[in-house]
This record gives sequence, structure tokens and C-alpha cells, in this order.
Amino acid sequence: MLQVGRTAWKTVEWVLLAAVGLVFVFPFLWMFLTAFKTMPEVYQFPPTWWPESWQFENFRIAWSSGPFVTYVMNSILVAGGILILQFLIAVPAAYAFARYRFPGRNLLFGLSLIALMIPSQVIFLPVYVEMSHWGLVNTLWSLILPFGASAFGIFLLRQAFMQVPDEVIEAARLDSASEWKIMWTIMVPMAKPVLVTFGLFSFIYHWNDYFWPLIMTNSDSVRTLPIGISMLKAAEGGKQWNVIMAGNMILVLPILVVFFFAQRHIISAFVYQSK
Amino acid sequence: MKKLQVSMLACVLSVTAVLAGCGSSKEAAGTNTQSGGSTAPQGQTASAGKPVEIDFWYALGGKNGEYIEKMVKDFNASHKDIVVKPAYQGSYYENHSKVLASVSAGNQPDVTMVEVGSIGAFADAKVLEDLGPYANGAEKKYIPGLLGNSYWKDKLYAIPFNRSTPLLYLNRDMLKAAGLDPNGPKTWEELRQFSQAMTKKEGDKTATYGFSTPIDIWFYEALVFQSGGKILTDDNKELAINTEAGKAPLEFWTGMLKEGVMKAPPGEKYNAWDVAKQDFLNQQVGMIFTSTGDLRSLKENAKFDLGTAFLPANKNFGAPTGGANLVMLAKSSDEEKKASWEFMQWMTDTKQTIPFSLESGYMPVTTEAVESEDMKKAYEKEPNFQVAVKQLEYASPRPMVPGYKELQEVIMTEIQRAVLGQASVDEAIQKATEKGQKLLKK
Repeated sequence: MLQVGRTAWKTVEWVLLAAVGLVFVFPFLWMFLTAFKTMPEVYQFPPTWWPESWQFENFRIAWSSGPFVTYVMNSILVAGGILILQFLIAVPAAYAFARYRFPGRNLLFGLSLIALMIPSQVIFLPVYVEMSHWGLVNTLWSLILPFGASAFGIFLLRQAFMQVPDEVIEAARLDSASEWKIMWTIMVPMAKPVLVTFGLFSFIYHWNDYFWPLIMTNSDSVRTLPIGISMLKAAEGGKQWNVIMAGNMILVLPILVVFFFAQRHIISAFVYQSK
Repeated sequence: MKKLQVSMLACVLSVTAVLAGCGSSKEAAGTNTQSGGSTAPQGQTASAGKPVEIDFWYALGGKNGEYIEKMVKDFNASHKDIVVKPAYQGSYYENHSKVLASVSAGNQPDVTMVEVGSIGAFADAKVLEDLGPYANGAEKKYIPGLLGNSYWKDKLYAIPFNRSTPLLYLNRDMLKAAGLDPNGPKTWEELRQFSQAMTKKEGDKTATYGFSTPIDIWFYEALVFQSGGKILTDDNKELAINTEAGKAPLEFWTGMLKEGVMKAPPGEKYNAWDVAKQDFLNQQVGMIFTSTGDLRSLKENAKFDLGTAFLPANKNFGAPTGGANLVMLAKSSDEEKKASWEFMQWMTDTKQTIPFSLESGYMPVTTEAVESEDMKKAYEKEPNFQVAVKQLEYASPRPMVPGYKELQEVIMTEIQRAVLGQASVDEAIQKATEKGQKLLKK
């Protein structure tokens, strides 16, 4: 009896998971399929599932509509540069917040949490003016520097560092390891799942970011992929959805690849957090 | 004060304008007076031998954007003393925020596109250069119907560039099948009758609707104009829609919706436009309102005889215009301004506006272009392209008080409530007027 109940429960669980999964997968699937359709087929009703003939041409049109190699390189430099900078700043900051007692610690930590709550649109004007003073507008630096310190990263890492048992650090200190060494060779590897998760969030956010690069840059040589994709979209008049979706495929593909490799760590990060 | 206004406007126009943002930008505006002062002389000292460099920010993506880039290239090739550097800056409204931010920081462009309804806001913020002294009457070459959004407080601030107007699109095959005039309805009453004749029911479900339109401010403006009304009073101080003419469009729409002969396409903002166009292409709707800018792509994708007509008249024909104008920024140096004027003139001149119009579907902007052989030939081949230009005779400018961008959102929310049956027409108009009045008082 118990066995039957359990199987039934498992079935319900699977059905629910599958339903939720479908909700998330469907837009991607639709984007993928639309990217291969012809324009009349995109508009057709009732819609077709599989493209009548696979139009790889859409990808060529999207790719050749601008300097996409430059866009991709810039996107990698920006998202990667931000990630490295955030890592270099968040790890020591989180270590200090988690493991040291010093006057003003709570106040400083509170301030970083406040930074978490301010959306970038609110501060875009002052930051723009600041970057302009430094002569950095229309350079890749203006896309990287404002995001160097991540409040979210510091917060997440601090929680992870706090869960490392005191004994581990005591033992390291007894072996006369320097604080620097403890931080990078003990704390960081132990927080790996959290680091990977944070890295992924950060990478996806900045890879997809549209508003900031648009505000800060004026020329194609320093622009990133999302702006290139948005240029596929006409302001008024007919939008070529198939080409736009092909462009979006180009945008999303790297994220899917990164996600695929990082998935294992993400799951363990959340399991680890909720323990 | 000027700086302050600019940053305030930037805040208002930015994506999530909240109080905190405006507070901090005031500070920013205060600190950058130096940079504003130091950039101007730099431009003036450019030596006479070197070509003048000007920045041009545009807001059209897709094929139209590519065509603008090509035009700029042609301009640079034919003008040795001027180098124009074009840059795409996202949608109209993204470009607006960006221009205002850059004015605060002192690295603004020299020429840019501004959506027609926002010219007043930009002019009031003292961002734009008065073009009167440059034009000296040269503005007479533009089609009068397109100049309505170029003046603010009797000064010329903008030159028409990529301009559109709403049209009635017809599925002529469906009209003929229903035994109707393939030239389409001329009046609201005819539009209703045509819609009734074209609507087909299969059991409880409606298989085809006669008519569909996005419930958008642009079309509401059109219908108010057609009823002999206005959105704002002549002094721009009050909303004027709490009148017969302001209510007539809503009564017309809700009446047809109740009868089940009109479809209000679902979706927020431009999504609703896409739904209307898709229904039209799939022949589930016989007639729609949409922009002239859609003509080319609808024509390419339609599997039926597609026609266009004036928006039907209530008391008279009427339509707003849309799209963007070219403006010059007040902060540029004299030398840059001279070059900018040269560039603006060239971009909108007959020789350029004809191919731009044919390529994009936007209207040609000079009278000479409309009367030219090239355009006449094109119209003969595709008479639908001419309908928009003819309708200009009845066109009115879009309202353009500072803050109309916010005001139109308020009006749109309320008229949509009426259309969805969540409020009566009187309630909706009353509410829109109350809320709108507060915005105008600001």
C-alpha cells in the first residue's frame, strides 16, 4: 500500500517537473524553430512545428548584417573581464566579512547589501558622467569597471565562507599558512560550487546586458553582441522574426554551452546552501 | 538651470525613472559644469584645413538602419570638408535617454533623430538649436503636413526625416468575396457595415473578423482628429478629450467589439501590432490599421490582393503622423553646426528622400519629391505607396508637450480599460483626464 502511494507520488512529481520544464524550454524551442523558418511560415496560422525547409540562410543574413566577429570578441572580453575583476574583489572582501571581526564590519556589509538593491538604470546618469570625466566613454573599460565590485558576489561568497568549519582554518594556521594562502588555497576550493554559480549568473547577466553597452558606446568597434542583435530589429515596419531569432540563437548558444558544463556545480551549490 | 532640466528630462525618459535617480543626477549635473565649458572651445579651434567631424546618432535598426549608414557614406564621399560619424543608438526612446545623458556629460552628438512627439520636450530642455537662422525659408521645400511637429513655440527645431502615418489596410479579395467596394470604406459607418459583412462565424467561434486594430494612442489620436477633436487644448495646458470627439472613438470601438465584428488584438504595445498584422496576413481579419512603414513587408508576405486606403472619416478625414525628425544640438560649436545643417539638408533633400522612401516605405519629405518623375513612376507601379502622401492633406501634428510620452501611457491605459469592458467610456475618459491633468500641471 505504502509502495503504491510512493509510486503515485513519484508520478505526480515527475508530471509536475515535466510541466514546469516545458514552460521554460518552450520559448527556447520556439526560438530555435523560428530561426529556421521562412518569413511567410513565421506568420502562418495555424503555425507549423517543424520548418517546411530548414533555412540556414537566416543565420548567414544575421551574421553578415554587422561586424559580428567584433561583437563576439567584445562580449567575451567584457563578460570575462567583469568576471575576473569581480572574482579578485569579491573573494578577499567576502573572506574579510566572513572571518574577521573589525570595527565597522556590519556597517560596511550593510552598505554592500544596499548596493545590491539599486538597479543600474537609476545610477546610469552619474556613472555615465563619471566615465565621461575619465575619458572612458566608448571604450571597453566603461563596460567593465562599473561592475567590478559585485555586492551579490560578496554576499553569496560570504555565506559560503562562513560555512567552512573553523577547524580547517585553525589547522591551516597551525601549519603556519599565511592568510593569503588560506584564502586562495583552502577557502576558494571549498566554495567552488558557489563560485561557479555566481560566475554563471554574472556571466549570463553581462553577456545579455543591453542597456549599459548601448549607453556607454557609440561605435561598432567596442559594442557587444546584444546591440548587434537589436540592430536586426527595425523600429517600425516589418520585423524579420526568423533573422532576429537566428541572431538570438547566436547570442544564446555560448550560454547554453557554459550552462551545460556548470550544471553539476549549480545543483551542488544550492544543495550546499540549503543544508 | 539648463543642465538641471536636461538631467531631469533624462531621468524622466530613462527606463526606470524613480525619485532616487533624479536626486543623484542633480548632483551629477552640478559637478559637470566644467566639462561642458571646456569642450566647446575645443571644437571651435579646429583648424580650417581639416575636415569638420560631426556625430550623427540614429535610431533605426534592420534594413532601414543599413540604408542610413549607406546614405552617410555617400554624403562623406561627396563632401570633402565634412566627416559624419554615424552611430546606431537603439530605439527612439533609448536614443532619447542617451542623448540627454551625453548632453549632461558634454559629449553629445551634433545631429540626431528625435521621435516627433518628443520634439517639444527636447526643445523645452534647451537641448536643441533653433534652425530658423540656418533655414532662412528653406523649410518651405518640405511637405507642410509633415512640418507640424517641427515647430515648438514658433521656432523651427526639426526637419522631417523618416515619417510615417497610419493607413487602413485592405484584403481586397475578402472585400470582393463579400460583394463590397474593393476601395474600402470611406466613413466610420461604412467601416462598421463592411466589418459586419466580412465577419464570418463558425458555430460559436468567429472564423474571420472584418476589422482589427491595436488599441494604441496613435489610432486613438487619429479617430479623435477624424471626429473634429483634439487631444490637448491649443495652449497645450489642458487635456481636451473629455468631449464628444474624445469619446466617439471609444464608443465606436466598443460598439463594434460588442457586435463581434472587430477584434482587439491581445498583447502589450507593439505585440498587439504584430498580432494584428499576423491575423491580417493569415486572412483571419479583413481590414487593419497600421503604419505606412509596414506596407513593404506586408506586401511581400501577403498571399492576397492587398490594398490601402485613407483612415475612414467620422466628421472628416484625419490622421496623425509619426516617425522621427532630424535635430541639431545646441551645444555643438559654430563650425559643427554649419556642417550639421549641411548634412541635415542633404539627408532630407529630394535626391536622397526619394530612394530612402522607396527603400524603407517611409514617406518622401519634400514636395518636389512627391511631384518628381521617379516618385510618379513608383506610384504608378504601386499606387498603395501614394495613399499615405495624399492623406497628409488631412494630417495633424502629434501633440508634443513635454511629458506627452507619460501622458500617452495614461490615456492608453484608460482607453484599453474601456475596450476590455472594465470601465464605461465616460469613466475611462474621466479617469484619463484626471490623471493626465496632473501630469500636465507638473
